[in-house]
Amino acid sequence: MTLLPWAVAAWLFGIGIYGIITSRHYVHLIACLAIVQSSTYVLLLSVGYRWGAVAPIYYDHPPGTPAVDPVVQALVLTDIVVGATVTALLLALALQVHKRRGTLDPEKLRPLHR
Amino acid sequence: MTDLLPLPVALPLAVAALLLLTSKLLPGRIPDIVATLTALAVLALTSAMTLVGQASPLVYWFGHWTPRGDLVLGIGFVASEADAAIAAFIALLFAATFVFAWGYFADIRAFFHVLMLLFLAAMEGFCLTHDLFNLFVWFEVMSVTAFALTAYRLEASSLEGALNFTVTNSLASFLMLSGIGLLYLRAGTLDFGALAQSIAATPHDPVEVGAFCLLATALLIKGAMVPFQFWLADAHAVAPSPVSVIFSGAMVPLALFGIAKLYWEIFAPAPAVRALMGTLLAGMGAASAILGGAACLQQRHIKRLLAFSTISHMGILLIGIALLSPRGIGGMLAYFVGHGLVKGALFMIAGILLATLAGIDEIGLRGRGRDIWPAGIALAVAGVLLGGAPVGLLDEGARLIDTAASESGDGWVVVAIVIGTACTGGAVLRAGGRIFLGLGETPGEEKVAPSEEESEKANRPLWLMLIPVSLLLILALLIGGDNVGRRAVRAAARFIAWDGGASLGHLATPMTVPTAAPPHPFVPWLTIGLSLLIAAHDLSRAQLPRRWIAFSDRYLGPLLKALDGMHDGLVGDYVAWIVIGLALFSLSFAVIGS
Repeated sequence: MTLLPWAVAAWLFGIGIYGIITSRHYVHLIACLAIVQSSTYVLLLSVGYRWGAVAPIYYDHPPGTPAVDPVVQALVLTDIVVGATVTALLLALALQVHKRRGTLDPEKLRPLHR
Repeated sequence: MTDLLPLPVALPLAVAALLLLTSKLLPGRIPDIVATLTALAVLALTSAMTLVGQASPLVYWFGHWTPRGDLVLGIGFVASEADAAIAAFIALLFAATFVFAWGYFADIRAFFHVLMLLFLAAMEGFCLTHDLFNLFVWFEVMSVTAFALTAYRLEASSLEGALNFTVTNSLASFLMLSGIGLLYLRAGTLDFGALAQSIAATPHDPVEVGAFCLLATALLIKGAMVPFQFWLADAHAVAPSPVSVIFSGAMVPLALFGIAKLYWEIFAPAPAVRALMGTLLAGMGAASAILGGAACLQQRHIKRLLAFSTISHMGILLIGIALLSPRGIGGMLAYFVGHGLVKGALFMIAGILLATLAGIDEIGLRGRGRDIWPAGIALAVAGVLLGGAPVGLLDEGARLIDTAASESGDGWVVVAIVIGTACTGGAVLRAGGRIFLGLGETPGEEKVAPSEEESEKANRPLWLMLIPVSLLLILALLIGGDNVGRRAVRAAARFIAWDGGASLGHLATPMTVPTAAPPHPFVPWLTIGLSLLIAAHDLSRAQLPRRWIAFSDRYLGPLLKALDGMHDGLVGDYVAWIVIGLALFSLSFAVIGS
């Protein structure tokens, strides 16, 4: 097992968080959130990866062939579905905000005009 | 009974799907009736499980994937008395909310009911599940429906509040998923019981403790503990009031109950996690209780005021969990239900103000509540209960937490309990005195409300809205006393002994906890006295000596203003605070580890 996937996951998480904190546009911010989420994909896939193993489909392999862990792949699939839902909802919200306020700068958009 | 275990989740899901399919055909009030009946059916089911779960926990395996030896491949649901009781309370709160919101959402047809039933299903699943990834799925369903419900009005403020809520809580889900990934890496399983075995085999593994840090942070974000609390005030203030009832009464405390579940069912064998819970989480709870109370006093937007009071009370709830004893958990259970009943009623009263008086600004509404005086009586009762009066379930919970704290040598937490309770009770009583009695005149400049004009649809008679309010308050008043406290502690002892190993059939003997007299019997009187004093002080500012006002403005004013200014509505700042909180976790972990 190498450290590379862990480093990539940490990097994606960090850069995404940095983007969210400094963002001045909600669409950019939502993209950064998606990047933070990609770090979880990388992390989960590297958790279940086995060197030299095949995909967990036994159609043309004899039973007992080493395969990567199918559980984490199922987790990642669920995660992707969740991510799509949340991103779609956020973009819809951002669109509605833009219709009403004419801007997507978080600095200018504060609940209750604080 | 065991075969009925998935029903509290499956029933609302199925009804939600049916309502969505037929939403165009159903006339007027049918969705209201169907949704209320569904919540009542879930209440009946889970109440029955509470009774059956006293003897031994109920275990259900989906698709009959029962474990072979210690190898678990299936997904299980487990309910003992405590899980089922919390699930039953949530169903009760939903039923009351559906009655309160009767016809309120008629113009979006059944969509409100569909979302609320999904929300209910997710919370029931969260209570009953015994699989970590399944827990994440319910957590996500809960979040996504909550996001949509917050933004439902599609007005500028509610959209901005919903955006902040969505961004911070999505980050929580990602942290949770990373934690699950790390734990799976070490244990290779997702069942709570099998995970606990793996932790017991390697109790000092830093990866597992790191996984706990990520999972706990995720739940603390949802549970709105300092420094993760920022989203809560924005979201609660702008969500429709029936939705705020569920947010404050069920969703936020449920996340903290999740921490108790994770600790006792999975992480209890790890000494580093034990130390983290006892120090960092107890500290966070105390800080939330005090800061939430202080911020609560500064608010004039009633729903925002109630939101900060929720943060304060959740801090006290977290202290109960962090004491790591059956009595502490028992206190947490009583406090969960007691707080949900009172806070639910209070958010409903806020909804009544929005519907009948078309306003939510405390100063703008001064003296205008005289026509709806029954709501004023309800507000006074709720304020007194919230302020720590020595009756009812909320007080029983606080007493148990106080007793558990002095037993484990953490007697200092009583300070946080007193300050938090007195500030929030005082703030609510002050608002009541101003709106319904016309007290507390303020100089001209403060009369302008800082928020936009708000109102909710006034299509329901006052008595219909008051029925669920009085029901919740009567329950909060009547349930209570030593008997209920003893039952809660017994349920907590069984929860601790049974829930973790239930999937593998390892049931420990529950601890018998002797009854103990509360160490500070004067505390309830002190807190309610302080609450009344704070309310009286704020209402009679105009009559108080000038020098005292100038003194308090000079020394206390900047501090309180800074506290309020931190909640600036800027999502980037909120995320920065989340990062600071994560750093705090890593730092404490490093200190404990060395």
